[in-house]
Order: sequence, then C-alpha cells, then structure tokens
Amino acid sequence: MRKRSIWTILMVALILPYALPPVLSAQTAAAPPKSVDDNKIDKWNSVPLHGSAYTGVTPAPAPRHDLSGVWDATGDAGPNGPPAGIQPSGAYEHKALLPGVGNPPGGAPNEKGIANPLPYTPLGEATLEAHKPTGLGMRSVPATEGNDPVDICDPPGFPRMDLSEFRILEIVQTEDHVLILNQFFRTWRTIWTDGRELPTDPEPRFYGYSVGKWMDDYTFVVNTVGMSDRTWIDNAGRPHSSELKVEERYHRVDQDHLELTVTIDDPKMYTQPWLALNKFPLRRQPRGFDIRENYCSPSDYLEYNDQVGQPLDAHPAK
Amino acid sequence: MRPKLGLIALLAVCFLAGSHTLFAHHGNASYDTSKTVTVTGTVTEYHWANPHVFVKVDGKDENGSLMHWTIETQNIVTEVNAGWTKATFKPGDQVMIDITPAKNGAPFGRFKGRIVINGQTFKSADQR
Repeated sequence: MRKRSIWTILMVALILPYALPPVLSAQTAAAPPKSVDDNKIDKWNSVPLHGSAYTGVTPAPAPRHDLSGVWDATGDAGPNGPPAGIQPSGAYEHKALLPGVGNPPGGAPNEKGIANPLPYTPLGEATLEAHKPTGLGMRSVPATEGNDPVDICDPPGFPRMDLSEFRILEIVQTEDHVLILNQFFRTWRTIWTDGRELPTDPEPRFYGYSVGKWMDDYTFVVNTVGMSDRTWIDNAGRPHSSELKVEERYHRVDQDHLELTVTIDDPKMYTQPWLALNKFPLRRQPRGFDIRENYCSPSDYLEYNDQVGQPLDAHPAK
Repeated sequence: MRPKLGLIALLAVCFLAGSHTLFAHHGNASYDTSKTVTVTGTVTEYHWANPHVFVKVDGKDENGSLMHWTIETQNIVTEVNAGWTKATFKPGDQVMIDITPAKNGAPFGRFKGRIVINGQTFKSADQR
C-alpha cells in the first residue's frame, strides 16, 4: 500500500507541472478575433481599426471582381511621422524631404537633394516653384505667403485625393460603374465600367473622367483624364497640366486588404511617368462602419484664422 | 445711402483681395521646432473644430504676468484617431502642456508631447 501511494504521489508530482499550466491558460487567454468584423466599433463616427486588429486574423481569400467595402488608407503613425495616408510632404513615394530629415524647417525654393527626386521638365520645375505649400515639407512657407488652393477650401481634386488626407474611402460597385466615396471633402468619383472610351479634349473637372476594367479576377485598373490644371498633384505642390493621365491599380489581396498603385503620366511636366503610390495598403473596416464627416468649411477656416492663423504669422521673424 | 454702399464694396474688395492670406495651414515655417516651452495654467476655451483643434490657456510667464496662450494641433479626424474627443478639455481644467512655440514670439504654440490635465497624464497617440 505504501509503495503504491508513494508511486502515485511521484507520478502526480511529475505530471502536474506540465498538465496544470495549459488548463489555467485556456481559462484566462482571450480568443483571438476570427474576423475584422468581430471588432467592436462605435456605431456613429466610427474610428478606423489600428494595425493590431489585423494581426493574428487569417482573412478569407479575395473575392473575385470585388472591391466593395469601407477601406481605411490612413494607416498607423510611424515612429518618425504621421500616418502614411496623410502624406503632408507630398506623394508617399516621393516625399519632399531631404534624406534623414523628417521635420524640415521649410523655405527651400525647389526640391534639389530630396531623397527620391522627380524627373521634372523645365516647365515642371518652374511651375513647381510657383506653388507655395504651407504645411510640412522642405518648400513650405509661412501661411501669409502660401497659395495652396486647398487652403481656401478649393477641392483637392484628383489625384490629390489619393495623395493627401487619404483616409476612409467607401467603394460601391454597380452593374456599369464603380463609385469611390472619399471622407475628405465628402466627395465621390464615378468610374465607368460599361466599356465607354475616355473623352478626348473634355471640359476640365477637378476630379477628371474615369473608366475602369478588371485586368484579372483581383486587379481593377482605372484610367483618368481631363483633370483641371487648377489642382496640385499633392501637398508639396507638384504640378500637372491638362494632359495628365493617371492610372490606378486596385489589387484585392484578400478579404481584408487592398493595394493601390498610382502612376502619374504628364509629359509636359515630367520627362517620364512616375509612381506616386506603390502597393499602398488599404485595410477593410468592420461592417456597419459610419464615416465621420470631414469638410473644409469656409466659416471654420475664418474662425481659425481669426483666432490662430493671423496672430501666429503677424510680424514674422526676419 | 451711396457712401455706405461704397464703403461696403471697398471692404468686400479688401477682404477678397487678401483672402489667400486668410486661410492657411501652419507647418513648421511658423514654429521654432528647436525649442520646447511648458505652459502651465487654466483652460479658458476648447475649440473642437477644423481645420485645427485648439485650446486657450491662461498661464503665467516667468515674471508672474498673465499670458493668454493658444495651443493648436491637427484636424478633428486626426485627433479622434489619436484618442481625443470633444470633451478632452473643459474650461477650468488645470493643465501642463509642452509646446513648440511660435517663431514670432507671440503666445502661440503647437502641442508637442506631454499633456497633463487636472493632474492626470493624457496620452495622445499622435504626439512625438
């Protein structure tokens, strides 16, 4: 009897350290979310999910010929700067920043020395220098000297909508067109998929004229022409002419991820086409996501400038 | 009647002529990013609005004189994503705020990092 008891005790003592922890942790560990849609969000004025909501979730495979959903392009803030979609210093692939300088003092006349320079024509270079941005970036000037049309609540237009304040967008597909609804300025774009040709020599529009088609089951290609040359390409004041053509490629990676590639082609301003965004990530938001309103309201700007803007730039330091 | 109309028209022209200078964002060109100032005082106003959310704080300078500070940050959507709400500050709150000061020496600044409201640290996700 004694031998058996000792043996039992010995067995329990050997097994217990291995058996007990898994039992305990199974009771205390939270089950990981099965889907992005399991995340709790505010019903109204929803806040987009952080990147942590996507780790540990295995998304369903990409649906065919389907971009629909509410997507967030903002991303998370990096250690050295604002979230990726905001793009305060210009198009993400060509920020107007010197290498290693994330927070420049501004005031440079041109972009000589930036980390990823653009292939300007002489006209492109001259038009760039005439544009005076007031935000971040090496060419930014004080508010009293700026001429950014968005500063007076003019529409950013296209492609600037993808290249600054690129936040929430909703994509809706109908039988013969795709709608892209943008949070910033609460505006929309229509992309015709009925096979029509792009217009030749159309009246300029802030957001241009777009047609699109599926190159394969998961890649939707959009071509846009007819963009008014009143608009800037990005927050750094990159110029474009009426001959600008923009190509967007939306690639549906899986249920929860889109990648957007934007190519700028304007032979009057640039000696060759350039990538403004390269597989830029967009993250699907949970069902029921309510997009917060984000307007440029002239009366809000008047109030701001009365209380902050004017006094801040009064008697600027020499 | 006519002189009044003329005056109004003149004012309207002046307003429109200067309109490009009336609206603007303030990047680093208006702020001295090499400096940090700590503002301690009482909140008098909190403007939860675009283009930039801003707070007004009555504080004292090193001589004990009353200073009316205006401290701004980014737009509402950015701040919401960083954890701010329309109720983050209230008039009467006792605050200590680190700011990047204006280049021109006026009592204006931009939120820079530390924010303490009524003794509690407020961790804003967008400050560096």
